[in-house]
Amino acid sequence: MKFWKVLLALVALVYLSSLAIVALSWMHHLKLSAEWKTVWSFELDPKARVKPEAQNAALKKKIQELHPKGVYIMVDSAENRLYLKKDGQTIKEALVSTGSGVILVEPGGKRSWQFDTPKGEFFVKSKIQNPYWVKPDWAFIEENEPIPKKMEDRVEAGVLGDYALGFGQGYFIHGTLYTRLLGRNVTHGCVRVADKDLEEVFKASRIGTRIYIY
Amino acid sequence: MNIEKGKEPLPGGRSRWLKVVFSAALVMSFSFYFISISAAQVSRLKRTATSAVGSGSQVQKAAVPASPGKQKVSTTGSQTGQKTKPASAPEKPAAASIKGIPEATLQVLKENRFLEEELKLAKTPQYYFVLNLKERTLELRARGMVLKSWKASELRYTGKPVPLQVTTLTNKTALNPPERKVLNPAEQQAEEARKAAEEKARQEQQKKKENGKKQDSAQSTTATPADTFDVEALEITDMPGSYELNFDDGLRIFVRSKSGFSEKFRQTRETLLWYTWYPVKHFLNRKSELRPQLILYFDNMRDAQGIYWAFIDGLKGIIWFP
Repeated sequence: MKFWKVLLALVALVYLSSLAIVALSWMHHLKLSAEWKTVWSFELDPKARVKPEAQNAALKKKIQELHPKGVYIMVDSAENRLYLKKDGQTIKEALVSTGSGVILVEPGGKRSWQFDTPKGEFFVKSKIQNPYWVKPDWAFIEENEPIPKKMEDRVEAGVLGDYALGFGQGYFIHGTLYTRLLGRNVTHGCVRVADKDLEEVFKASRIGTRIYIY
Repeated sequence: MNIEKGKEPLPGGRSRWLKVVFSAALVMSFSFYFISISAAQVSRLKRTATSAVGSGSQVQKAAVPASPGKQKVSTTGSQTGQKTKPASAPEKPAAASIKGIPEATLQVLKENRFLEEELKLAKTPQYYFVLNLKERTLELRARGMVLKSWKASELRYTGKPVPLQVTTLTNKTALNPPERKVLNPAEQQAEEARKAAEEKARQEQQKKKENGKKQDSAQSTTATPADTFDVEALEITDMPGSYELNFDDGLRIFVRSKSGFSEKFRQTRETLLWYTWYPVKHFLNRKSELRPQLILYFDNMRDAQGIYWAFIDGLKGIIWFP
């Protein structure tokens, strides 16, 4: 009987202790959670005499001034969508194809290429009508063909569609023959758009137009 | 029969003992909960009154941009206890200086900090993220404008609060991370030739079969819609729906999507752990540095996959509670 009493008392003690720990833990947990809302700090300049409201307005204005003005292009590489925007308003939305993310390895393993569409802010650097494609080495390696020595053997007409907007490092927003693949990630890094959609984008943009790819 | 006097068990003695123990346990547990809840409420009220430690006396003067290093020091200081003053705060006790400050002004000062940090990021050509813990929104921004945004259905946070300053994504970890396809043209050509031969054989066989049948069903099987192509590419659907984002300041963000049975099971398990084990674990390790942790739940798996896609290593951003 005594053993059972002791055991029961021990169980009660363990139970109460665990309750106490849980209660204390919860107090600690609530305290930690509350700190996320309240803990923040900044350095202060006692000489500064600008009111914080005015300073906030100035900061907002500074950020606002960084927004792109006029026409700009946004490319969502995850959803394969291109948005032509003017002063924040979407004026054209188009289905595109972006980089496949595939890695191409040259036989022998000397060189390799990663077919990603670059992400970040870019500018339209060139505008070309009826562009020709000067095939780079990887295009031949991919087809398992020998790399030509003459430049003219690299030139291919028609594959880039009617228009191309260059945004640096050999990347273009260009037309395509493979309209069935629009909406999929199949390119070597360029942004493929249907010629009809690209015509509008081409006409609206100029050299220096900003391109945001994410 | 030898029964000692006074040691004879009384009828119903054991159950009486049990009643006493259990009622005592019940009373004690209730009192513990009552005390803990009231203590938590009191501490929360106190905290609300003394929020934004050390900012009060500067309301008339306004905050100015400070070097990130300095901010880090002051933030770490204020994290250890609400009464800690920032390095450049005046000698007056914090509570006294804060007393007269309206909440709205404190919010303005906090927004000020956020805007200063955002301006730093908006000046760079790379896009960045802003996680608003109050609105549960995660935004991808560039030059101050929103490129894309996601709304989490649920958000939880614990551990050391993250300072209101720019943080950098160091890496992403997932149970099944997407793998890039590697093309080896020579091997691929051999494979294609084999497939073409197989296809030719299959078509020939089908032709033989079709000769005996009617011709109407021939055309329906030829068309293949673009979205059913199996392309050799890394697409958004290849991205994981559950993963972890690790930041340079020790912050860990767990992104979870609710779709799928396994994800629901995972969420239930995490909820149980979050409300039982995690508080105890954090309490027992309260003296050591607790890594800040966030869990973001999304109803749509594509949202979680989209974040994985957009969050490239080295991406900078701000996490804040307006």
